[in-house]
Amino acid sequence: MMRFTKFLKVEASFVIARHTLISDETKANVEPVVFLNPEFAKKSGIKENDVVEIEREGKTVKLRVKYLEEAPEDGGLIPNGVFANYISDLNKFKKFKAQIQVAEGDPTSLEEILAKFKS
Amino acid sequence: MPITPMEIYKWLPKTNCKKCGEATCMSFAFKLLNREKKLEDCTPLFEEKKYEKQREKLIELLKPLEEATETGLIVDEDLCVGCGNCVVVCPVHVELDPKGAAIGKGPTIDDPILRVENGKVKVINMEACRRYGKNRVLCVVCRENCPTDAIRFLEG
Amino acid sequence: MICPVCSCLCDDIEIVDGKIMNACKRGCEFFSKYEENRSKPLVEGREVNIDEAIDAAVNLLKQSKSVAIYGLDTTVVEAQKKAIELAEKLEAYIDDNSSFCLGEFVEAVLKEEVPTTTLEEVRDNAYVMFYWGSNPHYSIPRHMSRYTYYPRGRKRPRGYEEDRFLVVVDVRRSETATLAKKNARFILVEDDLELIDSFFKVLEGKAYKYSSDAAIILREMKKSDFNVVFGGLGLKYGLKDLKPFFDLVNKLNEVAPLYFIPAGFHGNMRGFNETLFENVGVVNRFSFKEQNSKEEFAFTELLKREKIDTALIVGTDPVSSLPFEVSLKLRKIKTIVVDPRNSLTARIANVVIPSAFSGLETSGTMVRSDGVRFKLEAIEEREINDVSILDRLVGEL
Repeated sequence: MMRFTKFLKVEASFVIARHTLISDETKANVEPVVFLNPEFAKKSGIKENDVVEIEREGKTVKLRVKYLEEAPEDGGLIPNGVFANYISDLNKFKKFKAQIQVAEGDPTSLEEILAKFKS
Repeated sequence: MPITPMEIYKWLPKTNCKKCGEATCMSFAFKLLNREKKLEDCTPLFEEKKYEKQREKLIELLKPLEEATETGLIVDEDLCVGCGNCVVVCPVHVELDPKGAAIGKGPTIDDPILRVENGKVKVINMEACRRYGKNRVLCVVCRENCPTDAIRFLEG
Repeated sequence: MICPVCSCLCDDIEIVDGKIMNACKRGCEFFSKYEENRSKPLVEGREVNIDEAIDAAVNLLKQSKSVAIYGLDTTVVEAQKKAIELAEKLEAYIDDNSSFCLGEFVEAVLKEEVPTTTLEEVRDNAYVMFYWGSNPHYSIPRHMSRYTYYPRGRKRPRGYEEDRFLVVVDVRRSETATLAKKNARFILVEDDLELIDSFFKVLEGKAYKYSSDAAIILREMKKSDFNVVFGGLGLKYGLKDLKPFFDLVNKLNEVAPLYFIPAGFHGNMRGFNETLFENVGVVNRFSFKEQNSKEEFAFTELLKREKIDTALIVGTDPVSSLPFEVSLKLRKIKTIVVDPRNSLTARIANVVIPSAFSGLETSGTMVRSDGVRFKLEAIEEREINDVSILDRLVGEL
């Protein structure tokens, strides 16, 4: 199915927080998901289950979108974990602004990030 | 999302044939929601081929009712985090379990209305709930204090 | 049974007919999935036996010039003491998660810079309760139903709508914020300092951004002789300097008694803070070589500035919990992971020593967020656990 919308890049505010409904206490799996505020998402042309690319300070991570009413009004919530921390830093650890746009392909995988530790 | 009598009525034959024992189809819709009547009571719906699509639609629409307890309380396990707010806040628990649920602990009585089991809230003894029965009270305290709407009542 | 997952340390957990009763989703996953994804003894990715793994760890530590021991917030106090003993022997750095979590909050309480109380006292007495920069619903799920807003208490017999006043402060309308309905207040902040200043200004009779909220809250506080504020990660990261917040807590005590308790963290983070504090007078980031605590001794800083060549990582997962630019530095050093789980860090470590779960497979003491101590009894005691592993390392070094 062709997409006729242009993939616009938008700036958004994100908080990083624990989201117990999708976290795995056994550490076997990590879900590459971002919870977007539905109002913000609709305004930006982003639908649930879209894959988005979030970019900050030269690093990008691709996550699948879920809607969450409780996410910040002008952006979203990234659950605690390896995907959030790929683009965070010690100064902006729990809250930051980043660029978001709809992307092609699959979300970033855990293996992709772990591979960077081996090289 | 709660099912309304109107949504049910939309798919009924709307003939007011009274075969179900009710005067009107609208009345039957209300009784269906209250669990006082079963869909099978509307015999034309099941016996006449022209109502096949409507019958299928109604069976699907009424599915949550089957999963709900006697008093129409459903727990959405995908949204429940086992926080226990509903268990502690229940006025019946406060009265019956003053040393347990009332002060924040897991229920110490054998048949609480609700209890967190395996990380999700489960309905144990709905008969004790104030919402239904002869002297029903419109109590919504458990739902009001669930921040993720994991508890819902069918009739809204 | 006591659940060791978060700092609530709920002590009413039972297993009946194979069902886990009363524990929230986090606790339930702990009790039901503890056998999943367990770590195995590994040296450079090769599976070995446990003794070989420990020997390899001993060798790495003997060869190192600068060691950091890190983690320890999920282990029992008895293991934390052993870790401190080991750090002292090795003249190593020692730090836990609190250096980027709520270490400052625990420190303020231990140094008596703010008044504090216990969660039972809160349940029995507290009227106004603040959740500032904390969303307990997902981090410490039973906090509100077990100890604060919802339970009845001796002086609060009518429960939440009449005998409690909830204040939720956050940068978004969180799940906890949606519970602030009647007799409650949700304050959406962009900058926590603005809210702090609003309180100060109202006390001086002046107006500021949140003065109407502040005035209402002050009015409510005056009605009671027991109020409490729970500070969370949002508050810690919302302020560059925490002093204004602690100054506010003390100032508000002139209006009505106001106690402070850190909102919540890993099961035994406060245990580490208190144990280290008893030992050397600080709660984290300590260097036994320099006999001193500095910001640069935080594990994150040591990694960033490449000050260590070996890390002994106990019961924590820096690859998962630290910013990538920091955790990537683990590649450049030798890492020994002591953990019951095959965590992300275990997957890239030089040596992995499989350990046992505190509270489930290891008996010991843990400290709740408010400082109350609990003795956890193991259900299936395992011989090889954090205490015995660290004890063995101490013995061989």
